Amino acid sequence: MHLKKTLKSLFKLLPLLWLAACFTKEGEDKGMKVFHYPVAVKIKGIDPIQADDLYSGTEVSRVYDGLLEYHYLKRPFTLQGNLAQDLPTVSDDGLTYTFKIRPGVHFHDNKCFKNSIGRELVADDIRYTFMRNADPKENSKGWWMIDGKIKGLDDWRKNPDYSQDIEGLKVIDEHTFSFTLNEPFPQFLYALAMPFSFIVPRECVEHYGQEFLNHPVGTGPYTLDTFNQSNKIVYQRNKKFRDKFYPTEAAEEFVKRGLLKDAGKKLPFFDKIVVEVMVESQPRWLKFQDGKIDFIAIPKDNFSSVLTSEMELTDEMKQKEIELLIEPSQDVSYTAFNHDLPLFQNKKLRQALAMATNGDEYNKLFFNGTALVAQSIVPPGLAGYDEKFQNPYRQYNLEKAKKLLAEAGYPEGKGLPEITLDGTNSTDARQMAEFTKMSLEKLGLKIKTIQNPWPELQNKIKLRKGMMHSIAWLADYPDAESFFAILYGPNGSPGANGSNYNDPVFNKMVKEASTMQDSPERTALYTKMNRYIAEEVPVIFELHRTSVVVQHAWIKNFVVGDFAHDRSMYINVDTKQKERLLEEKF
Amino acid sequence: MSSPSSSSSNTTTVDASTMNNRENHQKPIPLKGRSLWSDAFRRLSKNKMALTSLIILGLYSLTAFLTYSNIIVSDWSESIGPSYAPPSFEDIRLLFGTDIFGRSVLYKAIKGTQVAMSVGLIVGIISVVIGVLLGAIAGFFGGIVDEIIVWFYTTLSSIPNIMLLIAITFILGKGIFSVYLALGLTYWVTLCRIIRGEVMRHKDRDYVQSAFSLGASRGRRLFVHIIPNVSHLIIIQFSLLFQTAIKSEVILSFIGLGVQGTPSWGTMIDDAKLELARGVWWQLAAATLFMFVIVLALNILGDALRDALDPKLKGKD
Amino acid sequence: MNIYSYVLRRLLYVIPILLGVCFLIFILFNVVAGDPTLVLLGKHATLEQMAELRHQLGLDRSLFMQYLDIVKSAFTFDFGRSWVTKQDILYMIKEGTIPSLTLTIPAFTLGTILAIIISLFVSLYRGGKLDKSIVFFCIALMSIPSLAYILFGQWFFAYKMDMFEISGYEFGFPYFIPYILLPGIIWVIISLGPDIRFFRTVILDEVYQDYVRTAKAKGLSENVVLFKHVLKNAMIPIITYVVIQIPFLVLGALLLESFFSIPGLGGITLNAINSSDFPVIKAMTVLSAVGYILFSILTDVLYTVVDPRVRLK
Repeated sequence: MHLKKTLKSLFKLLPLLWLAACFTKEGEDKGMKVFHYPVAVKIKGIDPIQADDLYSGTEVSRVYDGLLEYHYLKRPFTLQGNLAQDLPTVSDDGLTYTFKIRPGVHFHDNKCFKNSIGRELVADDIRYTFMRNADPKENSKGWWMIDGKIKGLDDWRKNPDYSQDIEGLKVIDEHTFSFTLNEPFPQFLYALAMPFSFIVPRECVEHYGQEFLNHPVGTGPYTLDTFNQSNKIVYQRNKKFRDKFYPTEAAEEFVKRGLLKDAGKKLPFFDKIVVEVMVESQPRWLKFQDGKIDFIAIPKDNFSSVLTSEMELTDEMKQKEIELLIEPSQDVSYTAFNHDLPLFQNKKLRQALAMATNGDEYNKLFFNGTALVAQSIVPPGLAGYDEKFQNPYRQYNLEKAKKLLAEAGYPEGKGLPEITLDGTNSTDARQMAEFTKMSLEKLGLKIKTIQNPWPELQNKIKLRKGMMHSIAWLADYPDAESFFAILYGPNGSPGANGSNYNDPVFNKMVKEASTMQDSPERTALYTKMNRYIAEEVPVIFELHRTSVVVQHAWIKNFVVGDFAHDRSMYINVDTKQKERLLEEKF
Repeated sequence: MSSPSSSSSNTTTVDASTMNNRENHQKPIPLKGRSLWSDAFRRLSKNKMALTSLIILGLYSLTAFLTYSNIIVSDWSESIGPSYAPPSFEDIRLLFGTDIFGRSVLYKAIKGTQVAMSVGLIVGIISVVIGVLLGAIAGFFGGIVDEIIVWFYTTLSSIPNIMLLIAITFILGKGIFSVYLALGLTYWVTLCRIIRGEVMRHKDRDYVQSAFSLGASRGRRLFVHIIPNVSHLIIIQFSLLFQTAIKSEVILSFIGLGVQGTPSWGTMIDDAKLELARGVWWQLAAATLFMFVIVLALNILGDALRDALDPKLKGKD
Repeated sequence: MNIYSYVLRRLLYVIPILLGVCFLIFILFNVVAGDPTLVLLGKHATLEQMAELRHQLGLDRSLFMQYLDIVKSAFTFDFGRSWVTKQDILYMIKEGTIPSLTLTIPAFTLGTILAIIISLFVSLYRGGKLDKSIVFFCIALMSIPSLAYILFGQWFFAYKMDMFEISGYEFGFPYFIPYILLPGIIWVIISLGPDIRFFRTVILDEVYQDYVRTAKAKGLSENVVLFKHVLKNAMIPIITYVVIQIPFLVLGALLLESFFSIPGLGGITLNAINSSDFPVIKAMTVLSAVGYILFSILTDVLYTVVDPRVRLK
């Protein structure tokens, strides 16, 4: 450490570097609360109906708001009113949802409004937002969520005309709006908290046309300042943001972490958010350690420099007062069989392959043991997940696997063709594929791994080419239905079911569950479905991952969670502590 | 494409322009094939560095052959220790530590030699065959044939290499054969240009004309009389192509289009980009070292060959 | 033939080449590359949505019409909008050119000048120990893969030693300077090897020419000969070599850009490839082809200007 300091000061003497230091822009943020937020992918643009992944969902949530939102500090995830004053009143037949809209919510000031002053949000904006989501010309990535659900919207879609009235989208008065559904749809409220249904103002969509993607105008806590896809995205605090306050209630674990210190304070806390785009993991990690960015999800190869084997921070990290946050993700990673091929209709073969892959080893190598070996498809935290359940075909046992393979008609892999395994072309994915290959080759199979750029992998899956592929699925909302959908026959490619698994028994159960409201009966059915799938092994379940995030001590109120898209408005920074720590420890 | 990212393509351009320029301002020195070569061997054998390089090249080729026929390191894929064990001298296999799966990094690097040498050799051969054939035809026949071939390679070379590589692997699918073809099909242009220029200069020479008057056919004139006289250029280019191809394999691995399934130096360096921050430097070190030695040897050999074979630098010693 | 008609003739030659480039692009992206709508519509795409999008993108028209579209955009430089970011492509390219050039031009200039100086110096001592060791050193520099430089440089000099910014970029002079220092230095190191090797060969080529011997015989000192006569003549190939690299500078340095988060054209291209953004890929290909052709014409013209002995054909 001492040597490093000496060298540092020595090098600082070099005039060139001294000169360079004069040019840094850091001075301009003095006294401001700035959030330095890293992102690993290039954000395509900020339009609610294009936000189909976690990253763009997060960006959209800074600028836009939905009718509903998840409570920031309650677990399990709980919906509450956001632009709507409260949860809706539901008609007796369960088909009509009526919302009271919060009065006094204004859009950002923007030149697309009259006099460039943001107007108040009214019920008609909601009607417009949902019509836009349905309009085929807009190519919404969120249409699937309400496809076939809202009365009259599917007919309207065939010949879109925004002046037409739609039965299912009704403006009752300026601040009252109701949705009417075709049939009961228990996940409907989740749809209203997803970025796809965040409210957009019609004038701005029309004013910016195709460029609307790059000129977001919403009601959210921040306004977009600069957008550069491969460099950084900068947001400024929306000075006219409505009165919204930090929650006063929290789940037990969060109370313990002291997350209620800011309870009741006005949101948001940051004056400015700087989203830094860093595709490679090395610079991301180095910048975090240098205190230049505020938090980071630990890259797999850095686990051991961060965590001890007891899952605690290493001394080096503790010395910098870095904090560790761990929370399970609602996701599942799996290796799918292409069920279009007669080969994989053989259940015993699928079971044999699943048994031959060592989940614990995989978890240890790639996630430092932080993930959970998946027994079936539903991740922990959702109804239908059963903590005690152990899938017999997910217990690594090479001998049994060999026996099963022989029973399947391929003793020692004889008679099997060479099997291709497609994955993406990231370094991690390549190593994971190599692991699967090594595991399966112990059975006597011949595996050929293929790395593909993302578009090519998508193409292969959607066109039902290839034999096996590795992929992960993240929940769209906290309901196991989101996971069953990827094995539901009618969703086969190009739909979400990339494995093309089509099992009448399972399909029937999915259909039956789809109209059931959350209830013990439905949970029982979900549990049954989850077990059924575990036995069938339509895909090799790998892991339910865990978000392992490290943050600097000056960042407050940080909560990891798959649905907390809008967390940046709740997060706070202690600027004094930051200055002190940067001075002393870095 | 260009840039340090593929200093490889830079190298190729370098030599392209060397040759082109030479073609323009150099006065022809007629030479008989045999004396050129025997002279070259004499010069080469006096150059210790070049001889060492030749030996290194031989050793690498031998290693590649031995790994190909599974005589050595056939058990490279077995775990020999814990994940990411650091280098130690206890066991030869642990000389460069282990990778994420506990496999010997040394063995992987040795196994990688096979990929590297085969990429270098086959890409070199593909490029030479296409380049010499098209270049010779264009230069010899001239006219419309020449126009078409020149148009073809100008078009090809004006598209950034990286796009062509991606597109070709897209069409051919993934794997080592795609790597061979993708690189081979993009790297022949330089040689084609050089050969075309040389053949154009040679075809009006006295010795070719006299062969003609003696009744030699066109093909005979081209391949028996002219090509041997430009063969030194082919050898020099080949040594450059060889190392360029080895280096390009790393870039291809970086964008995920590299060799699949067996270890290559490219994938090892690609692994290292994640591992380095946790202090695992040995995989990068091993792959870089293996690559460094052969590329260095090829470069030195290429230089020595040029010095030995290029008649113009004769007065040098 | 005078120089104007020569240039004109060469410019006309651009047309068949551009047509060829367009044809290659067309074959690669419109015929064999597969359906981009799958990627553009995300994980829940329906067949109906795909058909609609194909229609909007004009992918349901005849192949011949699609080819004409590419040709049209190649000659008008109107590439339309990106499928993914919806930005005007020319605007995207303009935005990306600035960071790419701020990185590559200073590094390229510095690297070239440094290489010329070193190679002149080296040729003074040709055949000697110094010459041999510098040449060896250059070759050694070239033999290390560029990724190794980047990984190590970033980890050691930027992070451990805290001498440079780890990554990032600020628009506007002089704010970008701290961010391009390290990648610039890496660029120089990587290019130094091949540059010196080439320049040295060119200079030595000249040194062994008859006129140098004559000049020396007349009693001129080694230095005078080297700088006055040799450099002047060696300039021809050096200029050619330098000029032909310029169009590639615009494309930037793919690896450097992605590791140092410099928002240049290399990144835009790679990103377009990873998201099936065909119009951007096509635009980048067409533009770099045009750049390449124009600069190779420029090289030839410069050639005749510097050395009138060269015949135009």
